[in-house]
Amino acid sequence: MKNRTIARYEGTLKVTGQARYEGEMMPEGLLHAALVESPIACGELQSLDTSRAATLPGFATLVTHEDTASLKPSAATALIREKAIHFHGQPVALVAATTLSEAREAAKATQASIAARTALTQMGQALDQAYEPAMVGRFPASTRRGDSAKALSEAGLVVWRRYTTAVNNHHPMEPHAVVCWWEGKKAVVHTCTQAIFGTRAMIAHAFEMPPADIRVLSRYLGGGFGCKGQLWWPWMFWAMLASRKTNRPVRLELTRAQMFTLVGRRQETAQDLALGFVDGRLTAIEHDVIAQTSTHAEFSDSTAVYTRFLYACPNVTTRHSLVRTNEPQPVPMRAPGTAPGTFALESAMDEAAELLGIDPLELRLNNFADQDQENSRPWSSNSLRECYRVGAERFGWAERRARSAAKVGRWKIGFGMATTLYPAIRQACRARVALRVDGSLLVQCGTQDMGSGTYTALGQIAADALGLSMDKITVELGDTGLPDGPFSGGSQVTASIFPAVEAATSKLRAALASIATADTTLPLGGKPPEDLEFADGMIRSRSGNASERLTGVLARAATDGLEAEGESPATDHQKLAASGMGYGAIFVEIGVDPELGEIRVRRVCGAFAAGHILNPLLAKSQYIGGLIGGIGMALHEQAVTDAATGSILGKSFADYLIPVHADMPAFDIAMIDEDDPHLPGGVKGIGMLGTAGIQAAIANAVYDAIGKRIRKLPIRIEDCL
Amino acid sequence: MSSASFNYIRAAELTDALARGERAGAAYLAGGTDLLPLWKASLTAPQEVIDISHLPLATITRSGDALTIGATARLSDIAAHPEVKAHYPLVCDGILASASGQVRNVATMGGNLLQRTRCPYFRDAGLACNKRDPGSGCGTRHGENRHAVLFGGSPSCVATHPSDLAVALAALDAKIVVSSANGERELALSELYPLPGETTAPDSSLRPGEMITAIRMLNAARFANHATYLKIRDRASFEFAVVSVAAALRIEDGAIAEARLAAGGVAPLPWRLEKSEAALIGRAPTEEAFAEAGALAIGGARPLEGNAFKIPLLRNAVIRALQTAGGQS
Repeated sequence: MKNRTIARYEGTLKVTGQARYEGEMMPEGLLHAALVESPIACGELQSLDTSRAATLPGFATLVTHEDTASLKPSAATALIREKAIHFHGQPVALVAATTLSEAREAAKATQASIAARTALTQMGQALDQAYEPAMVGRFPASTRRGDSAKALSEAGLVVWRRYTTAVNNHHPMEPHAVVCWWEGKKAVVHTCTQAIFGTRAMIAHAFEMPPADIRVLSRYLGGGFGCKGQLWWPWMFWAMLASRKTNRPVRLELTRAQMFTLVGRRQETAQDLALGFVDGRLTAIEHDVIAQTSTHAEFSDSTAVYTRFLYACPNVTTRHSLVRTNEPQPVPMRAPGTAPGTFALESAMDEAAELLGIDPLELRLNNFADQDQENSRPWSSNSLRECYRVGAERFGWAERRARSAAKVGRWKIGFGMATTLYPAIRQACRARVALRVDGSLLVQCGTQDMGSGTYTALGQIAADALGLSMDKITVELGDTGLPDGPFSGGSQVTASIFPAVEAATSKLRAALASIATADTTLPLGGKPPEDLEFADGMIRSRSGNASERLTGVLARAATDGLEAEGESPATDHQKLAASGMGYGAIFVEIGVDPELGEIRVRRVCGAFAAGHILNPLLAKSQYIGGLIGGIGMALHEQAVTDAATGSILGKSFADYLIPVHADMPAFDIAMIDEDDPHLPGGVKGIGMLGTAGIQAAIANAVYDAIGKRIRKLPIRIEDCL
Repeated sequence: MSSASFNYIRAAELTDALARGERAGAAYLAGGTDLLPLWKASLTAPQEVIDISHLPLATITRSGDALTIGATARLSDIAAHPEVKAHYPLVCDGILASASGQVRNVATMGGNLLQRTRCPYFRDAGLACNKRDPGSGCGTRHGENRHAVLFGGSPSCVATHPSDLAVALAALDAKIVVSSANGERELALSELYPLPGETTAPDSSLRPGEMITAIRMLNAARFANHATYLKIRDRASFEFAVVSVAAALRIEDGAIAEARLAAGGVAPLPWRLEKSEAALIGRAPTEEAFAEAGALAIGGARPLEGNAFKIPLLRNAVIRALQTAGGQS
């Protein structure tokens, strides 16, 4: 596999406004939709008074739970089939009208009568009602290896602390939107989703129609971060019902305020973590996580899952429990589990290093896990120690003692570091390639590009496999008319598409080789296929001075072009010979103004090892974007629920702070290439790695600067005073 | 976008605008950086919007010791104006600490002073707020109140005024020129912002139809050598102040002859710290004097559950601002 910097395939289309996002479809006769929201956080809908709305200009139709009764019950339709109100802002109806402003006016004029019940609006009010979910994602909620209680009682040092993290919202720049219509019994659904095939399957289930009658398109995404998934489906279904009722196309786009309530959040956590050491070696870990979920659905991040195997430790107990509140439902958000989990674990390791009087980096090296103890398997590859070494060297970690707590102007300087990790897994994937007689190649795969570079990756893998330049490549994705591709999540897309595209292109190579070598009077005639290489639009013999243009081969015996499909399976977690993980070491320098409480991140060095890197330019962008998200979680982002009403406060970018350019430090990204014989192409995912670890690194740097240990996120002015 | 429609009137001239402005439901539009978001969020619903952005009110005139800045001058133009930069750097500091470059390119001086509070309960039509909906109650007092006032609050309202510029102008004893169909009047900046009463919380003392037409500073250049605006916030840019302090000193023969201190983010209006100012007069600009001024600044602060941290923060901010202003040559 080649490592090559290629600029973004769709970059020009995006920056010149030619890329049409799905919410920008404006078919003839389009109706615009708006949602009627509950002003109450808990209760039951009694009635809807639509008498005034129905008389307003432009009013077309209204869709409620009564219309939804025609849909098949499922988790995806529960919220819109029932009258129960679970959270403030929950839609109780969708109104469609000729213009957007008419739809919104009609929505405002629709009066919901709701019988209110006492709402539980804060996790802290009901910690005693926490319960254990069956699973956290694909992992068991609780685990116990060895005897951590005994080991803690015998430990020479115990660090036992509570760490808390706030609610974050995903906030892609592009809000959720759908433009949908019916063609007879068939549905066309343009919507920004991270999973076109998952979306199609849910529509097929809810509307009880064959998947083949549904076309879902998501060709460009203005970000997703985990929220363009299942929580969007109910509102998308309502838009489809409105379209069916009116026999007109319907468009629904969420407002920024609705992005705080309707499409998910990173759940709040309270984590109790105990580390026990004997002679600087971890002998016991207990990690208890309490997190928020809603009253209508269940979700738990895998917050303590990574604590099970990041370090060598014989006695590990982890537990996850949930508290149901009348707040919006959480879903995975970039670096799910690892971001809050490493905040606790990597902060506690720093606390332990301080108490043990050893360098935090050395403590981590001393406790390196040379195999996956939780699953009793070797690592497929693990270059974490190389990440520590390279990161420390580039960052200048050795100067920490000399430079930290020094003052630069008003800033007290602090250094901090932490570890990040994320599993390398794959989904099943199919891809199709079609080589035309002019030497151009069409690559098709029904996955999505969240803005992270999937178009480029698909094109690049195929181009390299056939020795074509990128200007010969056309990539199509984001359409259920294409072969089934992976959903965009869990840092899996590149690893999943790589073997499928490889499989497809290798069939083309074989077909081309067979044509090229068939005629012994031609230069490549009679050469064995393994002697051939594909480069620069040519097929060449490695052993002799012979070659032929690809277009010449095609013109001779494949004038209709050549097509092939390839597929690759999902990771089989039951049959893994080795555990695949990507790793990174994050080093940060911060400044704290101890009198004014302000914190600024001055520089960040991230050293990452995640298999082979396909495209360093895209990878660097992913890492930096991930780190910025992590800085936001560490210092800025916090969605606050008003205890009295259950309303989220400040539902705008003026109030929900994310880092701005002036908050950007200098980023130094090191990528450590790994050979990983267990993974196809040696590809691991990279999307999550930047967004974990940095929170703890920042908290550790704050401690280094001013001697204050902050065990909550976000870290704010009042914490540093 | 979402809100009720209104009549848009592009005023032909000032008298025309003022005549229309007296009508019920009228609102003046200059930069629109606050009015339009409020309208989009259904927090205000003017029937008639009178665009004054093109009226010839954006001039800067100097007359003797007075500097008069027209109300529709853009923030970015004033911050870049050579005379303002040279003689009224505190005004530039206050402006440049505000919003973002894009907003400052559109927002006006007069509009900035009349922007409405950022209190999240005010900014959400579904929540109780006496300022937006008199009699509905105050959600902030017993709710999320990190942002709320330390001074000048009442049972009806604990919202802060968000303007940075107003804090800088308060320290310079700026006057506001207000016009109406009945003529012109001048008031001190502090008089523009009434304290909330027991039951209501009006934003300004402007009467219906009145328009800020200019901001006037008298002899304020005397502070040019020793003035600073310090703004503390949760991110480096594009955010309202958690606490801010405008400090202006006149130092004569090594002693502080005059001191002006105003704080933002702590009160319904720029909060002049008069006791701190008085304590500095006649003193050398020393750490000891600044520390005393800082300690006096927080006297009478009445925190709520979530904002007590602003008390030490204000004290430290006063000291820091005085160090910066006093240290200038």
